[in-house]
Amino acid sequence: MRYDVAVIGAGINGVYTALELLDRGIEKIAIIEKNYPGSGGTFRCATGIRASFTSREHVVLMKRSIEKWKELSNRFGFPFVQGGYVWLLSREEHLRNFKEYVRFHHSLGVPTRIVDPDEIKELVPTIKTDTLVAGVHDPIAGKSNPFTALLNVLEYLKKSGVEVRYPEKAEKIIVENREAKGVLTEKERVEAETILVAAGYGSRDILSTCGVDAPINNLPKHALITEKYREVFKPLLVDWETASYMVQTVSGGFLIGAELEEEYNRPPMNRIEFLYTAVRIWSKYFDWFPSTHIIRYWTGYYVMTPDHHPILGPVKDVESLYVSTGFSGHGFMIAPAASEAVAEWIVRGKPGIREAENLTIDRFKEGRLIHEIAVFG
Amino acid sequence: MVLPDYRIYEHPILDFKRGRRVKFYYRDKVIEAYEGESILAALYAVGYRVFNRSPKLGLPRGAYCMIGKCSSCLSVVDGVPNTRICVEPVREGIHVEPQEGLADIRRARRQENVETIRVETDLLVVGGGPAGLKAALVAAEHGADVVLVNDHFVLGGQLVKQTHKFFGSRDYFGGTRGFRIAEMLSKKIKEYNNIRVYTNGFAYGYFKGGVVGVAVHGEHPLNLLVKAKTVIAAPGAAEKGLDFEGNYLPGVMGAGGAQTLMNQYGVRPGDKAVVIGSGNVGLIIAYQLLQAGVKVEALAEILPRIGGWFVHAAKIRRLGVKILTRHSIVRAIGTERVEKAVLQAYDEHFHPIPGTEKEFGVDLVLISIGLQPDTKFFAQAGAVMKWVPEAGGLVPIRTWGQETSVENLFVAGDASGIEEATTAFIEGEIAALSALLKLGIGGKEVEERRGKLIDFLWNEYRMAPVVRRAREGKLKVTVSEEEMEKIRIGEYT
Ligand SMILES: Cc1cc2nc3c(=O)[nH]c(=O)nc-3n(C[C@H](O)[C@H](O)[C@H](O)COP(=O)(O)OP(=O)(O)OC[C@H]3O[C@@H](n4cnc5c(N)ncnc54)[C@H](O)[C@@H]3O)c2cc1C
Ligand SMILES: Cc1cc2nc3c(=O)[nH]c(=O)nc-3n(C[C@H](O)[C@H](O)[C@H](O)COP(=O)(O)OP(=O)(O)OC[C@H]3O[C@@H](n4cnc5c(N)ncnc54)[C@H](O)[C@@H]3O)c2cc1C
Ligand code: FES
Repeated sequence: MRYDVAVIGAGINGVYTALELLDRGIEKIAIIEKNYPGSGGTFRCATGIRASFTSREHVVLMKRSIEKWKELSNRFGFPFVQGGYVWLLSREEHLRNFKEYVRFHHSLGVPTRIVDPDEIKELVPTIKTDTLVAGVHDPIAGKSNPFTALLNVLEYLKKSGVEVRYPEKAEKIIVENREAKGVLTEKERVEAETILVAAGYGSRDILSTCGVDAPINNLPKHALITEKYREVFKPLLVDWETASYMVQTVSGGFLIGAELEEEYNRPPMNRIEFLYTAVRIWSKYFDWFPSTHIIRYWTGYYVMTPDHHPILGPVKDVESLYVSTGFSGHGFMIAPAASEAVAEWIVRGKPGIREAENLTIDRFKEGRLIHEIAVFG
Repeated sequence: MVLPDYRIYEHPILDFKRGRRVKFYYRDKVIEAYEGESILAALYAVGYRVFNRSPKLGLPRGAYCMIGKCSSCLSVVDGVPNTRICVEPVREGIHVEPQEGLADIRRARRQENVETIRVETDLLVVGGGPAGLKAALVAAEHGADVVLVNDHFVLGGQLVKQTHKFFGSRDYFGGTRGFRIAEMLSKKIKEYNNIRVYTNGFAYGYFKGGVVGVAVHGEHPLNLLVKAKTVIAAPGAAEKGLDFEGNYLPGVMGAGGAQTLMNQYGVRPGDKAVVIGSGNVGLIIAYQLLQAGVKVEALAEILPRIGGWFVHAAKIRRLGVKILTRHSIVRAIGTERVEKAVLQAYDEHFHPIPGTEKEFGVDLVLISIGLQPDTKFFAQAGAVMKWVPEAGGLVPIRTWGQETSVENLFVAGDASGIEEATTAFIEGEIAALSALLKLGIGGKEVEERRGKLIDFLWNEYRMAPVVRRAREGKLKVTVSEEEMEKIRIGEYT
């Protein structure tokens, strides 16, 4: 069987791109996944969704994404809760920087706002604000559920005839006369008109099998979740001083990420310092936090590019090969918009959203890195 | 109002020597209990059955596993929500509240700063069941410095609730009653001053650098950080649940849960029961229920034949228990607890046969359809695992010496695949000998003893027809040192 499109990787981006292709009338689609769907970054993520970024490309794509999250969550019956984001600022200099970001957000129609400690208390009941100078509120940001967001769509794809092949590792992209012809998996040769690499942390390896060098590095990250509790607050919180975040998931657990020094491309390991760091930071804000029970701690990768922006779209040197990866820690939130753009590219030769055109892999060779007014969370 | 009394005072085998009297509060009632009881056992003894309500539908939740593995009993103890009261001992004056749905964490009492203690040791043993106890003893005998942590406040694991005489080799306590074995071993452990024991100590994680975090809960909470040169983890198993209508109702319980109530705490779990599953555990439970004064209405087995040993089955048949093969439960009926159970006949394709329903007026439905290894600790540590149905589910791959793919982390007992106490002892011993070799203690003598034991386990003990299936399961996850090296290299995928 020859497929119209073979997608490598059943994370949120591979799966959502398959959906967008199906919606555009492409029917013979295979998704090849080496482990199980969601097992890469997707099921490990905090599901934070926001448009308050510091580059035009990010803001435009994320705004589109938020629109699509509303649509998709209704269509497939999974949660999308627009509970907002709150950045907690403990230094005057950070507040000065944020004032500039807020102006930038407003210029692109993202309604962020500086809030004082009393307003933070209203947005985040029970928080102690004595160490804070101010906060920043993004009211249109939100959160979802990584499991239903992926699996409900996957179920629909399967019913509509998309072949989800797993566990089956893609080992080589077959290129003849500078044109991608198929994928050699650990089981067999899979023929396809078009190949899409959406393989998250495995993207660099699989692209290198056909001579494409993607400047991607995998950065180990740590996260934990507590048992479930009744809702205390809705927004995702970022402690700007430490770059740690905390979100009460839609199911009720408190999910926390915190920074630890890590080396690129190393297999991540559980480190007790992570638990200490997370507990120290968030016990400072919430008296009740030490009484929660942490039930899981896991690691995962941020798939980083040099300019912290994704790689989307066609590859100049190889006909019929497309890429959707390098999301640098934001690949969940952007998935609806990135998938739409990539599907449009495959079907109509253009991404629909103009800003996406700046994100092709060739930008690294051609020195067109994305400019940000600041590197931001 | 006088509360009912479910405590057993006369028992053919057990003599319940209860501890000092303790008073505590449940809601606003004063409850009288005995030292050494878990909070749940003490509440159960005076008639409470519902301890928690489900978050979405508000359905009642009761006791299920009784060993801290199922979350059915989450309650608020002294202001701390989500406390598993089945493994929390009663203490004078504590305040206990049921939990309605998800807990409101905002109302939690601010916990005092918990002290962190760092200890170093040659060997950390996680779990004080037969596997862990044996491992600790063998290592200590050879002079190793040992730390033993056990989640439950009593040492012995599953042994503490087993009143029957054990089958298996005399060298491994065959012929002795389970709880006696636990007593003997716990006493022996105390004789070694190179074993430090922390009961109520839950090993919560294995971290980079070989550090294991242990949360010591209860009256004097402690964060124990153990830096161990070697770790043997033997956290045991959890009972499997069964899917049927009304399976959430209090009164539907793991067979081991009921066994804990009646044999460990001397609390009668109910008045009338049906037992689902006819393996040895199901058969033994039925017998022990009768001993505790519970009427057993029927024992159902979905297969055409009884799973356990004929002698056990004959014994309960003689006492008038109906054994219904090709039957299972389809429904438990009741509002706040089980009032009736409906059993039904099944055909050879495991479909229920219409019109064959039989209704029993019972307050207990005991599920005894097998155990599932508790391997959370290994998964978190990053050990490479494999799904093996004959072993009860997902288990870590290990060498003949019981070492997992995480170097210096060993597995033993039910957590390595469901078997029985005798093999748990042997695996514990093999793991301890392997750890000693790593530590450079013992040398040739230890090596020889280990070789003999591995040979005995695989080529003699496990060759008996009754344990063949378990042997086959374990063969699928046991590899040579060389194969393990390969697994380690390709470890992260
Ligand atoms: C702790 C943590 C928190 C995060 N929080 C957020 C957040 O709040 N918001 C946000 O937007 N993002 C967040 N992220 C990032 C987000 O998880 C990822 O960017 C996103 O999941 C990427 O999706 P994907 O589909 O591109 O890749 P993945 O989900 O990684 O999927 C790629 C799939 O490809 C498969 N694969 C790889 N190689 C091969 C091969 N050779 N053959 C076949 N299959 C292969 C993998 O098994 C995997 O399933 C977080 C990440 C982590 C680790
Ligand atoms: C009804 C019944 C009858 C049986 N009859 C027999 C028989 O006649 N003969 C026979 O040989 N076998 C019998 N068995 C089986 C035998 O009891 C088990 O195989 C054996 O107890 C397994 O030993 P273990 O040490 O692996 O685990 P367990 O005995 O389950 O002990 C595990 C211990 O680890 C602790 N623990 C768990 N997680 C942690 C953690 N993270 N940190 C710290 N501590 C932890 C637990 O509190 C527990 O004390 C029977 C079992 C049952 C249920
Ligand atoms: S956890 Fe308490 S009954 Fe299972």
